[in-house]
Amino acid sequence: MRRSLAALLLAAAAAALTQAPDAQAQPLDFSEAEVRAILRHGPWPAPWAGDPTNRASGSAPAIALGELLFFDPRLSPSRKVLCATCHVPYHAWQDGRARAVGLVEVDRNTPSLLDVRYQRWFGWDGAGDSLWAQSVRPISDAREMGGSRAEAAALVRGDAELACRYEKAFGAPPPASDEAVLAGIGKALAAFLETLVSGRSPFDEFRDALAVNDVAAMKKYPAAAQRGLRIFIGRGNCNACHFGPNFTNGEFHDTGVPFFVKGGVDAGRYGGIQKLERNPLNLLGAYNDDRSGASAVKTRQVALEHRNFGEFKVPTLRNVALSAPYMHNGSLATLADVVRHYSEVSPDRLHSDGIPLVKALHLSAAESADLVAFLETLSESASALAPRRPYAPCR
Amino acid sequence: MEERRDSVRRLLGAVAWSLVGGSLLAGGAHACELPPGVRVESERLAVSFRTTPEKIAVGEPFTLDLAACPKGGALDLGRVRLDAHMPEHRHGMNYRTRVVRLGGGRFHSEGWLFHMPGRWEFVFELGPERLTHSVRIE
Repeated sequence: MRRSLAALLLAAAAAALTQAPDAQAQPLDFSEAEVRAILRHGPWPAPWAGDPTNRASGSAPAIALGELLFFDPRLSPSRKVLCATCHVPYHAWQDGRARAVGLVEVDRNTPSLLDVRYQRWFGWDGAGDSLWAQSVRPISDAREMGGSRAEAAALVRGDAELACRYEKAFGAPPPASDEAVLAGIGKALAAFLETLVSGRSPFDEFRDALAVNDVAAMKKYPAAAQRGLRIFIGRGNCNACHFGPNFTNGEFHDTGVPFFVKGGVDAGRYGGIQKLERNPLNLLGAYNDDRSGASAVKTRQVALEHRNFGEFKVPTLRNVALSAPYMHNGSLATLADVVRHYSEVSPDRLHSDGIPLVKALHLSAAESADLVAFLETLSESASALAPRRPYAPCR
Repeated sequence: MEERRDSVRRLLGAVAWSLVGGSLLAGGAHACELPPGVRVESERLAVSFRTTPEKIAVGEPFTLDLAACPKGGALDLGRVRLDAHMPEHRHGMNYRTRVVRLGGGRFHSEGWLFHMPGRWEFVFELGPERLTHSVRIE
């Protein structure tokens, strides 16, 4: 009996040792093409030069005003909903729910705000062409904050602290036009959101080690994650859309996720382009601070096509393990569910004429686990954000 | 007004490029030289184009300047459409390009963005002529 127990303990120790190599994994023999593909997902943080459409971008007074507004429940006349209701700081700046709940539940999942400054379009449907225009959208949505531009403008004009900070941020008191004040609110919120950049991840350490062939550093990256990475850039073709340092090409695709909602369909990108065209705060309007006109080209030239129905924005995969549940409607609870979706997706649903971009990968259980292991290494090892401090009153 | 001035400035840059080739389109076989760039030809037309930035990156917007010379005699370029698509996947760009005629067979276009890596095919339709050129984007 004693001998068999000792044998069991020995077997358990041996099993533990055979699993230990992930702590000191041998780097896979990535080909030159694979190395090039991997290196394209960095460096991190990616360079960023400020938003030319927002004259308050990078301005400390605007960041302070934006932070105050982000946590101010008075932007909703109900006083019950603030930006941070859905974009919860300790929850990777999202809410962990399948679908967001403002004054009522809406049809879409709350995306994380981490690294939002790197995006080209905003919202799952890309109805926002700037971070500042998108930032004020929930204020006047009856289901989210239920306010109006007039109420938001009156708040900023009437509150001495906010009015003082507005003047510091923009060099003039809040103007008479409600729409202009709303644009200012959006620009201050955007200036704050631009500071939400995620820290480096285990993948970033591996990627940088690979760049300089630092084998010792590469060995710290788990073998399962390396195998998953190989699927991601190879057979999975995930990097066709989840491209670059922020793991997104910034555009829109139909990935076979149902877009039926209560009482109809979510038109996705098709509806987003229509909303964009109607929005007086879009980059073709008077509030775009980029006088070169270059930033507005995307808005002027974006094409509305029938195929845009059912397309949703390709989300960043940075911090993806921290931002469950997944997809535009939050219908997939875990990363394993997402991998299963792409492993089993039906070609009939996707209607592709050419070589389909999304097709069933038919991954084995081990391959699926490896892909999940890779995705889990895209989360920041530690937050890169400065701790929040109380602001002294504005004078 | 400001924006208009800057647009004009960008267009002037394109005109300067188009003048590098010497004399502008005059309809004759030898009266037209193409500025440096990627050269593409059809039976009746030769074009050269360049992109700015020169290296196209996935998900990054770029502009394209194009100069056209008929190979013999005058050619009515008529309607001009500059576009691109991914032949294997049978989809185009998510944007429609805007083409500005600079005169003399020169064109400046904006609204280009290749949103995926892989093979893209430029399609230049100038009047009756259709020219294509493939590039691989990583």
